[in-house]
Amino acid sequence: MSIWTRVAAGLDNPIVVKEAVSRMRSWRAPVVATVYLSLIGLIGFAFLNLGTAANSYSAGRPVAAVVGAQAFAAMAFFQLVLVCLFSPALAAGAISGERERQTLDVLLVSRVSAFGIVWGKLIASIGYVLLLILTALPLFSVVFLFGGIDFQQFLLSQVITIATALSLASIALFCSALFQRSLPATVASYAASFLLTIGTAVISFLVGASQAVNRVPTSKLQAVQAAQPVVAEWFFNPFYALVTVLQPSPAGRLTARGFSQLLFFGQPESGVVAVGGPQLDPWLITVLFEALLAIAALVGAVLLVRGRRAMRPRRTSEAAAEVSE
Amino acid sequence: MISVENLHKNFGSQVALDSVSFTVPKGEIFGFVGPNGAGKTTTIRILATLSQADTGEATVAGIPVGADPAGVRNVIGYMPDFFGVYDRLTSIEYLEFYAACHGVPRRRRAAVAGELLELVDLGDRREAQVDTLSRGMKQRLGLARALVHDPAVLLLDEPASGLDPRARVEMKELIRELRRMGKTILISSHILPELEELCTWVGFIDGGRMAAAGPMAEIRDGVLGGRRLRIELAEMSEGELARAEEVLQSHPGVVAVSRFPDHIEVAVGEQVVDDDLLALLVERRLRVRSFALIPGDLSEVFMRLTRDVRS
Repeated sequence: MSIWTRVAAGLDNPIVVKEAVSRMRSWRAPVVATVYLSLIGLIGFAFLNLGTAANSYSAGRPVAAVVGAQAFAAMAFFQLVLVCLFSPALAAGAISGERERQTLDVLLVSRVSAFGIVWGKLIASIGYVLLLILTALPLFSVVFLFGGIDFQQFLLSQVITIATALSLASIALFCSALFQRSLPATVASYAASFLLTIGTAVISFLVGASQAVNRVPTSKLQAVQAAQPVVAEWFFNPFYALVTVLQPSPAGRLTARGFSQLLFFGQPESGVVAVGGPQLDPWLITVLFEALLAIAALVGAVLLVRGRRAMRPRRTSEAAAEVSE
Repeated sequence: MISVENLHKNFGSQVALDSVSFTVPKGEIFGFVGPNGAGKTTTIRILATLSQADTGEATVAGIPVGADPAGVRNVIGYMPDFFGVYDRLTSIEYLEFYAACHGVPRRRRAAVAGELLELVDLGDRREAQVDTLSRGMKQRLGLARALVHDPAVLLLDEPASGLDPRARVEMKELIRELRRMGKTILISSHILPELEELCTWVGFIDGGRMAAAGPMAEIRDGVLGGRRLRIELAEMSEGELARAEEVLQSHPGVVAVSRFPDHIEVAVGEQVVDDDLLALLVERRLRVRSFALIPGDLSEVFMRLTRDVRS
């Protein structure tokens, strides 16, 4: 089987089609999309109005650009908040729900592999989140017209949002495979989501504050470090990544250097805030971390689902010895 | 077609299966009989590749369950004792989904699903949402689902549980039809009269141990000591009944004769030809109105066998 045949087979996953049909027929799908778009639209509208009224914030830039940047940032942050809330909810019941409905065994007796089940569930969950993100693009494009945000910033903000949705959905899928019931799976998924967003922020704040109190610069290096009060935990926080991307500084820009850093861990660019370890842009570290988290969670979920099927038998003599004991 | 040899399965310190062995020849309906917790579902789950035996061998259509579970999945259709359906899918979509899961080519899925809906008499409900179907319809749909990839072997765990009498009759007819189509069927149940009518082979399990397994008639005759005949005479007077009893007891193959107000029951050995007995009665000028084999009572067979196992 060629790699393209494999890719085609992977995409032709009956679970994705079934979940999509089933989800889009429920009343929740259009209601959630409506609420989602309304909230983001309202946030954008409110910030455009507020920004226009307070035009003293321009600081040398055109007022429209400042207002546009503020509204875009507010909408992007709010979208990230919504994605953090929706992704665990959409994926946490994916496998445990099959167990509760007593449909999992029937699925496991079919030819669909454990990977196919987990992959299908992930695509089905993330697909709806992507649909929401996609439907919000026209709202972002309206704000985009005001200026203040370039295309790279727009693109990176969406990359961070999608990566966060992917990692949170993957963790939720793992929880769904781990727990028998959907309720504990959902609670665990939200706990993980909380840890990844608010948890890393709180830890970073506490560690940063502690460092600031204890640090008395005695050398040039420590003076440099004191000027950079960002601790490593911040880099795992998607909201921090979004902050760096939306800042008008070049720190968060998508550059060829940034990609080379991703691949080869090269030298730090000026303005990149990190001391020691691989020198990457903050958004890149976040996306990379989230991708690794997603892969680990998905591998775990596949192993858990595979464990529900009969595996190769132990050698008869070994098992017989155990029984006789 | 199905072969199980010395299966052992423990759940912690609890012995679920203890040297369970039986075979099911091709094209037979095997009734797997036992009380709740006897080990029926555990055995079926092992055959369905959902569980693993601690020791022992099981093969389905010659494919070893432990060594080649994927191969076994291709030849079995499995219907668990309890199963759910998906919300917001129609019957035809439900079957098409499982056809896709079993690797049925895309161009054939709709046709296969349509044919199966007709087979299980749900052709007029193809656009009905599956969660709105009655319990009996869902069971029939579940059976259709187990057939989407045209498996040679069906593993049906309590297929008639929770069904009303009409739905049970429909399910029985459906299973008979599947046998006519050449399927080998293993059915677990504790509703014995139904299995008695349906099954050609039977296996009794209790406390994780097989009490007996083999052809239904063989097991029944072996346990109950031969067949029993019910004879009704045109004239049921005391004199005629006494004369008939005397004639029947004179036959060397008759084991016992019991007189009842409206009929006579005769226990006969294996060597007796029923026609000879009837001819003997006619020859002695006894007017026979009815002469019939009494179906063996599977419940009694089960009680005797499990009593032996437990003792």
